[in-house]
Amino acid sequence: MGEGPMSNVTATPTVKVIREGDTSKPNAFTIVIVSNPALETPWHSGTFAVDSITNNEANFDGCVAYINESLFGDLPGQAETFLADPTIGPYIRLVSLFVDGLPAQDANALVAQDDVSNIAVARRTVFAPFLARFELSADIAYAVTASATHTRASAWFMSDDDAQGGVPFTLNGVSLVHRYHHLIPGTVALPVTSTSLTALHELGHALSSYTNGMVVDLYVDSREGLNNRQGRPIPHDFATYNGEAIVADPSRDSLGYPVGWQSYHCSLLDPANPAVMDDYWKAKGGPEACRHDAITRRFLADRLRAKISRY
Amino acid sequence: MEPLKPETVKDLLDRPHVAPADVEEYQRLLAERFTVDPDAAMAPALKAAAQERETRLKELYQKLFADRTPVRKR
Repeated sequence: MGEGPMSNVTATPTVKVIREGDTSKPNAFTIVIVSNPALETPWHSGTFAVDSITNNEANFDGCVAYINESLFGDLPGQAETFLADPTIGPYIRLVSLFVDGLPAQDANALVAQDDVSNIAVARRTVFAPFLARFELSADIAYAVTASATHTRASAWFMSDDDAQGGVPFTLNGVSLVHRYHHLIPGTVALPVTSTSLTALHELGHALSSYTNGMVVDLYVDSREGLNNRQGRPIPHDFATYNGEAIVADPSRDSLGYPVGWQSYHCSLLDPANPAVMDDYWKAKGGPEACRHDAITRRFLADRLRAKISRY
Repeated sequence: MEPLKPETVKDLLDRPHVAPADVEEYQRLLAERFTVDPDAAMAPALKAAAQERETRLKELYQKLFADRTPVRKR
């Protein structure tokens, strides 16, 4: 693990390379975890306050270790380990950035406090220019916050650069592309108190795309996305991915579809437990027993393989 | 978006003025917010729907969380 202070900014940052990733490429697929310097309180107010995570590097480092474990399948009893696949894991660069002493202002606020919930919201367009000040860029970025009131994580999907290349695929006969590059990274606002599969669940959102496949929440009657469709009766097949039919989940197995829902999901890899994008807190085997459903796991792995193959 | 913890859902449903449909709608609208590119949501075609969603979320938030004291149903 390498680390060292940066000298080109006024604050006192510490950058740590948690996973080297693909060192043969100048633009390796990268996940950055950053201590959130300032909170917008509330969201869209233009009012900012210093985030107390900047006063506690040990707590931040603990959260970085937790995120690393959750993403790469190292939590005790964790069943979902797709990022640890030897064709994926070694090519992912994971970097943490702890920075304190920055003023509470717009350019330093990566997280906002929602005014209609206790959700911490990523201010997605601030991330790239903020990280660039520290000579970092990210495909996915987690901002860790110690907000006292907003303790529920959230994520925005990635905005792909659809003008650049990628690996084509089809979904229900529609041509889409696992893009190599993005315009806006996938962004996550993660409370420092987060546990279990929360970091992995949010990665599912942040790695997906507004234009090439959205991985949506499955614990509500969501709009259609890569992993959710609408209609009754539930058909035998959930979707056709790259010409291959993938079976639907007729019963949402361990949880059941509530009466009145129009959503239906893809078949589970472990019918005994909910999907990672579903309500993992309700898993009978504990949250760590949950795995992605069949199409989500395949989509996320294919999208990652495309991105780590870029030059 | 992280699912609500079961104890939070139970706390909400123990309130006599909260119906399961309120919690369901609140959760659904919050999740829906993140499925719309925030930049695209400012386009005229989507802006009205986004504003309507946020207005409804405010109403539901007031109903669900205005009084945080748990009240058990009899």
